Amino acid sequence: MNTAKDINSSPWPENAPIPSKKYKRKLGIFLIILMVVSVFSVYLDFNFLLLFTDFHYVVDLGKEMYPPNLSVLTSKPEILRSIFQTISMAFLGTILGGFFAILLAFLGADNTTPNRMFGQCIKFILAVERVIPGLVVILFFLIIVGLGPFAGMLSIAIGSIGMFGKLFADAIEHCDYMPVESLYSSGANKLQAIKYAIMPQVLPSFIGNLFYAFDINLRAAIGLGVFGGGGIGYEIHMAMQMLRYKDALALILFTIVMISLLEKMSDAIRKKVIGKEVLH
Amino acid sequence: MVNPTSPYSPSSMPSYGRVKSKAMRNRLIITLVVLIFVYVSAVSCKVDFGLLISGIPDGINFISNMLPPDLSAVKDLIKPAFDTIIFALLATIFGSILSLLCGLAGASNIAPVWLRSSSRIFMAFERALPEIIVILLLISALGIGAFAGVAALSLGCVGMLGKLFADAIEEVNPKILESIESVGGNKWQMIMFGVIPEIMPSIVTNSIFRFEVNIRLSVLMGAVGAGGIGYELYHSFNILQYERATTAILITLFLVFVSEKLSGYLRKKVTTSYKLK
Repeated sequence: MNTAKDINSSPWPENAPIPSKKYKRKLGIFLIILMVVSVFSVYLDFNFLLLFTDFHYVVDLGKEMYPPNLSVLTSKPEILRSIFQTISMAFLGTILGGFFAILLAFLGADNTTPNRMFGQCIKFILAVERVIPGLVVILFFLIIVGLGPFAGMLSIAIGSIGMFGKLFADAIEHCDYMPVESLYSSGANKLQAIKYAIMPQVLPSFIGNLFYAFDINLRAAIGLGVFGGGGIGYEIHMAMQMLRYKDALALILFTIVMISLLEKMSDAIRKKVIGKEVLH
Repeated sequence: MVNPTSPYSPSSMPSYGRVKSKAMRNRLIITLVVLIFVYVSAVSCKVDFGLLISGIPDGINFISNMLPPDLSAVKDLIKPAFDTIIFALLATIFGSILSLLCGLAGASNIAPVWLRSSSRIFMAFERALPEIIVILLLISALGIGAFAGVAALSLGCVGMLGKLFADAIEEVNPKILESIESVGGNKWQMIMFGVIPEIMPSIVTNSIFRFEVNIRLSVLMGAVGAGGIGYELYHSFNILQYERATTAILITLFLVFVSEKLSGYLRKKVTTSYKLK
């Protein structure tokens, strides 16, 4: 029975104020954000409109860069070498960092640590390490081993330990405890329990994460190159500093293609390795 | 004692040995391949552990130069640290808006095909580029300073946030959009009242996460010349004021740590509050 009254009667209370509470709250949040943004913009001297009026500088840069000087990729052997350096920095950093991350994770995880206090210390170190910016680490290694890809590789390794140590420790702590108990009950020692009961459970996630780490580290390797870590990042930085923008664009395009290809490749390998479970 | 008639006796499982040896062979091949790769990349990286070991005294010397942190510099560094936070905050807000626009342009249920594919290609390009390169490009276009920094960080968001938003928009229940269309809503109203409320949780949580990333990035960006704590850090290193640099590092660690905890807490809170509704 649909009378006019039924249709007109709203689910809201009769004399609800027209700008409803919800609307007022939304408006309030919006105004607060707007105010914060404008106050801070004034504080930083950041003029949002400049993004539109100054956009022609970006266009100018684009024009200056435009026909990319692709011959730079083939004419100079050091460019190809530096690309290879970047990839190997990421690869080696992932392997080295992953190895230590797994080691520290086993030493730090509550159920595998040799000593509880020691484990807590390891976890604390991992937590602190995770927040140290890559910039600080690379500056430190530049002083120890000098400019070049070795320093970049070491700081990527350190970064990977921080990134994945805690993750791995969590994975170890959350694994199923029944297989471990059954091994203990048949007389296995701690190392055997780790090898036959915990390792098979956590290995797939470790390997998956290491492939993911490689993707991240590849970008990090390019970034660290800018600060003296060698590789293609350094070449791009140099090309831009010397205003050879056409070379820089060629290098950047090549980097994009390389990163996308390597990402696809690591994805395919990961699927193959974990899917088929050939490793355990 | 093994019962010879039991189905589990070794003689009844002839294939076990073969399976095991195949697994062993696979493992061996993988180990070998990885080792070869390690060797090749070690050569190209010029890995030299002798250099690392001989450099350790330098490292210890360096660390002892850095200690104790120059606490008197704290009051000089408060402002750059605050600047860094503001950088990240503004960049997150502007970046989310830009990403939302790109996300709307990249969603198949909102945008026409040509717009969707071009927006998606742009975002994929941006994602493949490391942030530092985007920042370098924009700094060389717009000059050094806060403006270039915030613009670079905001554009840096687009690759990641834009894709996440576009995916979230494509997952919006089509019935909601249809019902708005059926009562005569135009595209703008469809976006305003159908899409945005639906993807609000995704916008908020991902933007908060991006804030955490932006704090880290703005430290890095400062070092390339956009000011903030990163600039102070890099500059102190370059003028060999290591004790001041240590203070800057400690402040940076504090910023990163707090932003990480805060973003985790806020994201959890937002997710639970949206779940309750």
